[in-house]
Amino acid sequence: MELPPLTMEQLSQLVTSNAPPSQLFEALSRYELQACLISTGGNSSNTGSGDSTLLSLFYSSFFLVHLLTDQVSEARALTKRIPEALLQHDPSLQNCLTLLRAVWQTQHGQVYQVLRGLPWPDILQPLVRRYESFFQDKTLIAVSRSYEAIRLATAATHLGLDEQLAKQEDANIISNFTKCGWTWDPESKLLHPKPIVVSPAEPQSSNGIRKAMEILGTRAG
Amino acid sequence: MTLLSDIISASANLHSNHLPSDEYDRRIRDLVEYFRRLQTTKALDSFANDESCLNPLLGATLVKGAMLRLDPSCAVFTSSHLLLVRLCLQAKAYSCALPVLNKQICHFPISQGRPSSDPSVLCADHSSGVSFMTEASGVSAKLSYRDYLQYFLYGGMVYMALKEWRNALHFLGIVISTPGASSVSLIMVEAYKKWVLVGLLENGRLCPPPSITTPHVVKVYQSLARPYIILAHAFERGDLKRLNAEVDAAKGVWCADNNLGLVSQVVGAFFSQTVIKLGKTFAALTMADLSKQVFPSPVCAEVTGSAVSSLIMSSALNATLVETKDHAEASMLRFSSIHSLPQLSRELDLQSQLKQEMKLMGTLVINLGETNNNLGLSDEYVDSVHKGQVWSGSSEVNPIVGGEAGLEMDEDLMGDMS
Repeated sequence: MELPPLTMEQLSQLVTSNAPPSQLFEALSRYELQACLISTGGNSSNTGSGDSTLLSLFYSSFFLVHLLTDQVSEARALTKRIPEALLQHDPSLQNCLTLLRAVWQTQHGQVYQVLRGLPWPDILQPLVRRYESFFQDKTLIAVSRSYEAIRLATAATHLGLDEQLAKQEDANIISNFTKCGWTWDPESKLLHPKPIVVSPAEPQSSNGIRKAMEILGTRAG
Repeated sequence: MTLLSDIISASANLHSNHLPSDEYDRRIRDLVEYFRRLQTTKALDSFANDESCLNPLLGATLVKGAMLRLDPSCAVFTSSHLLLVRLCLQAKAYSCALPVLNKQICHFPISQGRPSSDPSVLCADHSSGVSFMTEASGVSAKLSYRDYLQYFLYGGMVYMALKEWRNALHFLGIVISTPGASSVSLIMVEAYKKWVLVGLLENGRLCPPPSITTPHVVKVYQSLARPYIILAHAFERGDLKRLNAEVDAAKGVWCADNNLGLVSQVVGAFFSQTVIKLGKTFAALTMADLSKQVFPSPVCAEVTGSAVSSLIMSSALNATLVETKDHAEASMLRFSSIHSLPQLSRELDLQSQLKQEMKLMGTLVINLGETNNNLGLSDEYVDSVHKGQVWSGSSEVNPIVGGEAGLEMDEDLMGDMS
């Protein structure tokens, strides 16, 4: 099927759609060639700021979708493929670089600060919010598996919750954790996480081992 | 001219009188499929001849699409494999190479002079790429030993860029253990240098080359990659000061070999590998004790705690943290814990691994069958079977000759009687 040309309308439609991250990634991957060709023609005199805006939004969206599909290394590689001049001068792409640094260094507090505090273009807001939610869920699972006991303030920092309220042992903050099955000990002032198990997307075959043995048996014969 | 003759030979199949409509449809479909394959083959040929005309990203995307369309299993090694990986490295589009790199290569294009190597059968319904991706088909340029080594070295570099160290080690292992007719090639030495660094990043130690590597080749590697071996020893001893000193001393070597990035990652991995090693000695440590064990100069326990927390959360370290009410120093790192991961989660991981291994085995079994079949049809095998028959024929003839001799004797006997 022929790909419609990369335009602001097309991009906006994709970014604001509620498509699963993998589908978004697939769709934007197909547009990278067009973006690449637009940027190659960017040196000629007949291209203007319209192209820069389009390219900036395309690369920023593509970057966020990389993070949304948990491809941090590949997101870093993408920043090396973005035209240098655009990367250096575009505020939205500079935000992406700051975000990448925070994610790369697992500075959780910094990640939330970048996502919430820096000015992102309106068109990117849905993706930014989706990534914030994704990052929060991912961190919650990781914290639940990594800590046997955790201070409320530490947990709040990891999940981007208000640290001051956490220090005051705010009931709402505590309930954020207890509703996940964690227990709160008021005496020790510690949370005891319950490890969250994520079931795989595909249904597991119950006779997998038998099949493997059959294959081995065939070859052994 | 070649394209024209290909089209004529393919369309000739259609000109049979009184074909039933479904048979005609099938042939039309075959012809269309043939043209798709032909187009892909010619396009790959053009790319291979003139890489310079391509934007690397555009080239990588097109070559990947063409390869997967021509043979979705990508099991036959062609010059396009090398072209794709090189373009992906140039374009820094590493994951673009993965659909091909993650597939198992099981065959080389089969040689000429075989019935299946006739290009006119490209339109046939092929069960696998081996039957039509022959030397004569033009799908691949002539391959050399160097192409094979380069593909696996570049493939390893793609995995390194994506920090898939285990896969990178596998690819580099293929390069360094490749048997050579004469001496060790420069590509193999380069791969060995990377092998040492990737081994430190993945396993925290100097990994011995694969067991099939001949001892004299290992000695050559060790003498040519001396600074890397010294660096690995410093890393293994857990001596951060010495490690930094070795890194500074051989900075020129790392730069000349384009391995500076990997070396800096090795220094970065020192902390995580040291903590993992401590887990083999201790069951649990406080943050204050851990800081003393790992860092030569005093470091704030909160910094250590944050670094350890990142390690555990990224699954690089199988342990858990137990925080206390007030002091970061008193927080405990527990290496062996029943809490760390529920049994169900481990079993799901194991099941998923088994599933992957089973898929891989299935592919290998299919390709082994094909290899067996190809070997059975090869000229060498037919010659050896023929020789074997002659030999076994001659050994079995002896009794017959013996029988004939016996008959002769009988005749003689009869003669005597007469």
